[in-house]
Amino acid sequence: MALESGGSGRVAEALRRAWPLIALCAIVIAIAFAASFAPAVVQRRTTQGLINLVAVVALYTFVGNSGILSFGNVAFMAVGAYVSALLTMKPGAKSIFLPDLPAIIAAAEWPTVAGTLAGGIVAALVALLVGWPLMRLTGVSASIATFAILVVAYVVFGNWTSVTGGQNSLMGLPAYVDLWTALAWAVAAMAIAFIYQETRSALLLRASREDETAAQAAGINVVAHRLIAFVISAFLSGIAGVLLGHFLGIVRVENFYLDLTFLIVAMLIIGGRGSLTGAVAGAVVIAMLTEALRQIEIGFQVGHATIAAPAGVGDVILALIMLLIILFRPAGIAGGREITWPFRR
Amino acid sequence: MERLVQILVDAVSVGSLYALTALGIGLIFGVMRLINFAHGELITIAAYTLLALFGLPLPVMLFGAAAVAILLALVTERVAFRPLRNADPTTLLISSFAVSFFLQKLLILVVGSRLKGLDFLPVLGRQIELAGIRLQLLQIVTILVSIVLLAALTWFLRATRLGLHMRAAAEDFRMARVLGVRANRVIAVAFALSGILAAAVSCLVVVQTGVVQPRMGLQLVIIAFVGTVIGGLGSLSGAAFGGFLVGAASILLQALLPPDLRAFREAFVFIAVALILLLRPQGLIPAAGLKERV
Amino acid sequence: MTASTPLLEIAGLVVRYGAITALRSIDLAVGEGEVVSIVGPNGAGKTSLLSAVAGLVKPAQGTMTFAGRRLDLVALEDVVAHGIALVPEGRHIFASLSVMENLKLGATVRRDAGAVAADMDRFFGMFPILSERRRQPAGQLSGGEQQQLAIARALLSRPRLLMLDEPSLGLAPMIVDQIYALLRTIRAQGTTILLVEQNAERVFGVSDRVFVISGGTFGLSGSAAEIKNDPRFDAAYFGVGMHAAAGGR
Repeated sequence: MALESGGSGRVAEALRRAWPLIALCAIVIAIAFAASFAPAVVQRRTTQGLINLVAVVALYTFVGNSGILSFGNVAFMAVGAYVSALLTMKPGAKSIFLPDLPAIIAAAEWPTVAGTLAGGIVAALVALLVGWPLMRLTGVSASIATFAILVVAYVVFGNWTSVTGGQNSLMGLPAYVDLWTALAWAVAAMAIAFIYQETRSALLLRASREDETAAQAAGINVVAHRLIAFVISAFLSGIAGVLLGHFLGIVRVENFYLDLTFLIVAMLIIGGRGSLTGAVAGAVVIAMLTEALRQIEIGFQVGHATIAAPAGVGDVILALIMLLIILFRPAGIAGGREITWPFRR
Repeated sequence: MERLVQILVDAVSVGSLYALTALGIGLIFGVMRLINFAHGELITIAAYTLLALFGLPLPVMLFGAAAVAILLALVTERVAFRPLRNADPTTLLISSFAVSFFLQKLLILVVGSRLKGLDFLPVLGRQIELAGIRLQLLQIVTILVSIVLLAALTWFLRATRLGLHMRAAAEDFRMARVLGVRANRVIAVAFALSGILAAAVSCLVVVQTGVVQPRMGLQLVIIAFVGTVIGGLGSLSGAAFGGFLVGAASILLQALLPPDLRAFREAFVFIAVALILLLRPQGLIPAAGLKERV
Repeated sequence: MTASTPLLEIAGLVVRYGAITALRSIDLAVGEGEVVSIVGPNGAGKTSLLSAVAGLVKPAQGTMTFAGRRLDLVALEDVVAHGIALVPEGRHIFASLSVMENLKLGATVRRDAGAVAADMDRFFGMFPILSERRRQPAGQLSGGEQQQLAIARALLSRPRLLMLDEPSLGLAPMIVDQIYALLRTIRAQGTTILLVEQNAERVFGVSDRVFVISGGTFGLSGSAAEIKNDPRFDAAYFGVGMHAAAGGR
């Protein structure tokens, strides 16, 4: 590649490197923009899709760079959701649902952005604590350990009635997440994920993915780099959880368990776990698929009859697609590559 | 004193159940290095088969459940796992996860997500007295069935040609094939055996809970598979032991923990898993020659 | 099949692992009853050659014919039934299985139970140590004993061709003496042997012909006596002047 002289060369180079991020953000912003003209119902579903996008990008940040499948990110989403709920709910609502909260938390009423960041940060801290020992594991053992994180979180949140309300829904969260809030955080998440994956730490981590022994022999501290990815991933998951909670207005521990885990993992696998483009592609494709399936489940009018698929067929189709992808195109739609610069040099 | 014995019997009974479940998972992991999440679906679908065959003579019901479980196991192997025989462990794990969810969602689609009552072998719910201590007949039956199945499996593995092939394949798959052991046959047998174990567990659980619901297998498997990990991935005796330990510990914790901590007992169990994975990644009774793929 | 038709014929064999070419066009013919040795340093392609014949790796190009049958069309599990037995590098005995069970696995493809039992007795006679420890887990055997077990296991399939990958690896010199004495006995019984070694010195005493492999191709070749005294041997072994980039590790 010929070196161009002067500032314009450097700018062009920076643009070229950042192209995947720019392209992906453009696509997502375009989708949100288009949805803003649609009825409120569609806007809500797009918002949900954007929240899912944050969740998938979060999962990708760890899985894509470390090569280890994590089942535990939904646990961090739950952490984020509960933390933000506790900090931003009106004290009046808290006293109804969580009468036994410590006074400081019961009285707190933080602004929404602070609550969101707190959710992400606490999730990241939990990940740091939990991940520090666990990142030493590899392969299947590591994945099983992350599964344990999910189950432990589920059990703890489901029974820690004084703080989380236990099995009951925690209602009354300020439902401030609309299309633009979700979009803003989606763009932020993609930016964070992209900037991170361009760092030296992430590069070393990806190198170690291929041959861990060789990497360690070369002096790379695989465990430390893995932990960094894990913590950043948890931070973003926490944010996703906050968004979900404040979109629905409620937090239920049941919503942060296996079904959500499956959905996010499916999105990542289908889109392609090797690149940010894959993560985004997965979220977008599943969102579109969900729309189509919803339509099928509502049904079509044919004469006097309505032909509709039974409820639940959407989940079956999603699982089937995930299976087909892993069998026939294991690298997913994006195939491990980032979206490329479409113009010839 | 009576209470103590009752708790111990309960612990052994539940432990046996989880041992059988863990064995089903361990068998597959041994030959294929695959954690079969779908094992839970084998248990669930076997239970729904019992429901479907309800009213027919007992042997027909049992045979039907076993047949369906075995068939389903073989089909999932052929369709979802054989094409991935040489894939990396993460891909296998993903496939297993996808198959599990596919079957579960399909089942929900067909039968709905509500639980259904099934009054199967209510005679086993009777109380009996052994040496002056009141126990449930089902607990004794569970323990006996587990012992019989374990003994049968052990005999099969140690005394038959096919069993020898399976043990060889579990230790060094490639070398076994070099010697002429047929990969497909060994793996198919492992899956079929896991189907039998799943059906047995299914029957026992249905008798105990009287209920059939789409998540029942998954709940069992999540805990049992922890046992497989603790016991040592790749070791069958380890899997059985680990499953037993986890099941028994769950009951003992329930009895020993103060009331407000009791609900967290599963959390304790899982934290123990993580700890064991850290301190002894090869498990408590590791398999000889278990090679972690780099 | 006449005496002049080779038992094993390899033509133009190319083996690749991804971007790496381990064997570049190998031609080899092994006659029945012969002992052919292939010597070369680590990474030269010796194991790849045996792996290709045994069916462990599919060649990218070339043909392999054994007793008139095309080997590339034979599945891995069927190779031993055709009469080829492999004693792999590192022996690969089943450590958790007993000595007896390891031996039984050698007879996996045989259907004549009575003759198998007779063979096993014969091997226990040949290897008294194995007889002593027949019920013990094979993992408890010493390196030399494991090598004996691996060879006995391979012989139990009554192969026409016995292939050994570095049988002396990791063994004390005295034990290696025993192993090579064993190989001479096997040869005397008429089994064809294809032997691969890093330790070139050893093979001259037992081989008919020797090939030197380096960087994926054969360099020198000839009768054992010729090669042993050939002044070009060292250069050929270390690939000096030939494919030097691929020689060594």
